[in-house]
Amino acid sequence: MSALAKYRQVFLTGIQTSLVYRWNFAIRATFSLLHLVYIFILWGAAYAGQSEIGGFPLAATLTYFVVLLILQFFLSAANDDYEISEEIRNGLINQFLTKPINYFAYRLSIYFSARIVTGVLSLLPFVFILPFIGPKLALPAGDHLTLYALAVPALLLSAFIQFTIAYCFGMLTFWFLEIQSFIILSLAVEAVLGGQIFPLDLMPPWLYQLSSWLPYYYQIYFPTALLTGRITDPSVALQGLAIQAAWAVLLFLLARMLWTRGLRRHTAVGG
Amino acid sequence: MAALLRHLRIWLASIRYSLVRAMMFRGDFIMWALVELFWMSVNVLLVGIIYDHTDSIAGWSKYEMLLLVGTTLLVQRLLMAFFWSNLFELGRNVRSGTFDFFLAQPGWPLFMVSTRKFDLDGLVNVPVALAIVIYAAHRLQLDPSAAQLVVYALLVLCGLVLHYATLLTIISLVFWLQSAKGIEGGYFGLTEFSRLPREALRGVAQVVFVYALPVVVVSNVPARLLIHGFEPGMLAWMLGVTVFWLTVAVSVFHAGLRRYSSASS
Repeated sequence: MSALAKYRQVFLTGIQTSLVYRWNFAIRATFSLLHLVYIFILWGAAYAGQSEIGGFPLAATLTYFVVLLILQFFLSAANDDYEISEEIRNGLINQFLTKPINYFAYRLSIYFSARIVTGVLSLLPFVFILPFIGPKLALPAGDHLTLYALAVPALLLSAFIQFTIAYCFGMLTFWFLEIQSFIILSLAVEAVLGGQIFPLDLMPPWLYQLSSWLPYYYQIYFPTALLTGRITDPSVALQGLAIQAAWAVLLFLLARMLWTRGLRRHTAVGG
Repeated sequence: MAALLRHLRIWLASIRYSLVRAMMFRGDFIMWALVELFWMSVNVLLVGIIYDHTDSIAGWSKYEMLLLVGTTLLVQRLLMAFFWSNLFELGRNVRSGTFDFFLAQPGWPLFMVSTRKFDLDGLVNVPVALAIVIYAAHRLQLDPSAAQLVVYALLVLCGLVLHYATLLTIISLVFWLQSAKGIEGGYFGLTEFSRLPREALRGVAQVVFVYALPVVVVSNVPARLLIHGFEPGMLAWMLGVTVFWLTVAVSVFHAGLRRYSSASS
């Protein structure tokens, strides 16, 4: 119980810290609306003269991108890798080595607090534009409740995977002076294989199958596909959930290994 | 004139220093070059995926679209090579107070801020972007004249100035905000529109992104020059918006500069 109280305090402090940058989050969210306008124009033009692309109408594709963008604000570990890297480089992690605080749990608490603030603030511009874009969107028709229910654990696992990947990149600071290029390269791979550039089911089937075995698929595409009706078969959803859970465990083990090995190389200097 | 030459010499010295530095951290340079190459591939991939499912976007065929995207990438690589790091760091420097360092230098503040670094990794991908343009032009069986190519180069240069002006205007907001965190996202948000054919935008979007802001014209005019030949009205429009937006960006920067009161102790 005291352990939980410890991280609850970190979480609450994290919320206060994130709120300091509320205007930046609001500006970022507003800028993201520009991306949405671009998406609406591009896909609107691509759909001109045809009712379906990849078996989905325009409204379904636009809904996919809107949900994906909102989920990105709630899930994306945008800054955690850099912050972890800075804490290692500046020696700030030294304080955790002598205290009964688990660094992974500490950072995870901060991640959740930052995501809640970012996510909620990002909703504000979306609420404002909903009357304009609402008529262009469409949620899955028919009984979709089972898949919505499965989306809940999928979202939690996505958050865990997003954070753990960022944490692993942060850990690379033990070995490399500069990790920014690794992060940006990973972001580019994630943008494609995570379905941020186009819905993954538009790729050739063999490539889609391959991507569904990679962790990027489960970072954001999988819960978005469950929520927007791009995955409708519950057995496919359950299989996806199992692979996602397996990735969460594997990445957690990798994170632990990098922390243990990294600390062996780490030298704490100064008082 | 003498001042201009002096600043040119400073710029060349900065480029030489940046090249030496890039060669000192070769692994880093290769990694960043790969990162940029991958992002470029993502843009080309998007064109491929969409055209797997459709024949035309706003009347533009697959290879016309590829030529448009290639032109955008070309301009962006030039921006990345010469100005991106400098302006990106401007946001952080104003907040930390390191900006004082630039004000103390014997040169025009905006020039010193914009030219301190040069990124070779951006420049090495310029030939890749050019290859995309040439490949698309070849598939479209275009045969541009020497004059067309010269004007295309001039328009790409105008595009570079427009991208610089857009980024400078956005980053200069840091003089009014507490932090630059995330505001560079505005640049990426706006420049996405340069990958769209002008004909795809209608109504309010057309007024905003084609006429009010220079984000569509920046790539469409050079691409159209290669595809459709000379359109004098378009060329005049491009030159006009370039001068206008550069003036706006410089004015915003100087307004911010007057507000700056240093952040150091």
